[in-house]
Amino acid sequence: MISPLLLLILFIISLHALIFNPSLMKKVFALNILNSAIVLLFITQGASLGSRAPFTTESPEQMVDPVVQALMLTAIVIGVCVTSFSLALVVHLHSRYGSFDYRHIRKGIANDR
Amino acid sequence: MKRWSNPAQILVSFIFLLLFLPLFLSQEPWPTAARDILAEEAEKQTGAENIVSAMYLGYRAFDTLGETIVLLIALSGTMSVVSLLKRNSEDVRTPVSLDFSLEEEKRAHHRLRTHLLEVVTGKIGPIILLFGFYVVMHGHLSPGGGFQGGAIIASGIIFFVLGNPHRREESEIQRTTLHLIESSAFLLFLLAALVPLFMTGEVLANPFEAKEIYIIALNTFIGLKVEPGSH
Repeated sequence: MISPLLLLILFIISLHALIFNPSLMKKVFALNILNSAIVLLFITQGASLGSRAPFTTESPEQMVDPVVQALMLTAIVIGVCVTSFSLALVVHLHSRYGSFDYRHIRKGIANDR
Repeated sequence: MKRWSNPAQILVSFIFLLLFLPLFLSQEPWPTAARDILAEEAEKQTGAENIVSAMYLGYRAFDTLGETIVLLIALSGTMSVVSLLKRNSEDVRTPVSLDFSLEEEKRAHHRLRTHLLEVVTGKIGPIILLFGFYVVMHGHLSPGGGFQGGAIIASGIIFFVLGNPHRREESEIQRTTLHLIESSAFLLFLLAALVPLFMTGEVLANPFEAKEIYIIALNTFIGLKVEPGSH
């Protein structure tokens, strides 16, 4: 009962940072934390069925749900892809405009025009 | 600079909290039907004892193919953006701690490198690589699989790069080798996906009598595919 509540708090913190934090770097990290919160939520929900790993050698009644685990494997891989790509973009913006603040970057782009 | 968010922002977050509260705190019992069917059928149908492997290389292998394509695209995008960056790291003067630092002639190239790092990475790197290959090859029997084992192998390679006693030019060569491995692993994965088309008439259907072989092959290709990805 306590773990979904903690994950909700994690989710809201990262959502808040994603929307309101001006730093693009922190936005990327917030996106990553958001992804982790969702993954952990699914894993804890799927693990409410049992406590044993999903192998055919285990007894089926005590096994966790393997469907969520397979889905979250995909989510983790895609999350890593998105994070690495957006970090590269943010670093590139920083090397060009000298700031992670999106307002500063927007001003720099307006000056370039 | 302000330290605290203004009340409007906190209000918006609070509204989100209320919106997502029922989603997170739902007491709906998790359905057991899929688990029960998979526990019965997974090994017979796909040949993998690990049901998660059975899903992402058996039932859902086509989706895994798409996933590796996403990985490839994200990686090539990242590499092209990173290669656009100007290399200005030469100007940065980083402090050198002399206690563990390398010999004079190496110090210029590896400013932050110490003997400590070289010894530790040299000893642990091979063990991590071996463990990564074990996780890849045993993906159908034990926790793990291509993605996880590939990530472990990648961390072993990062250890080698960190502790690489050679100069930077040689690690450039290693990098192109890794890219070659990655692209050819993807090609092999595509071929492995297409082989069953000629044997059974379906893409990614398991063509062998002993189904483990196909699962191990797919796992290995994914492992090789993921492994250079983090470099």
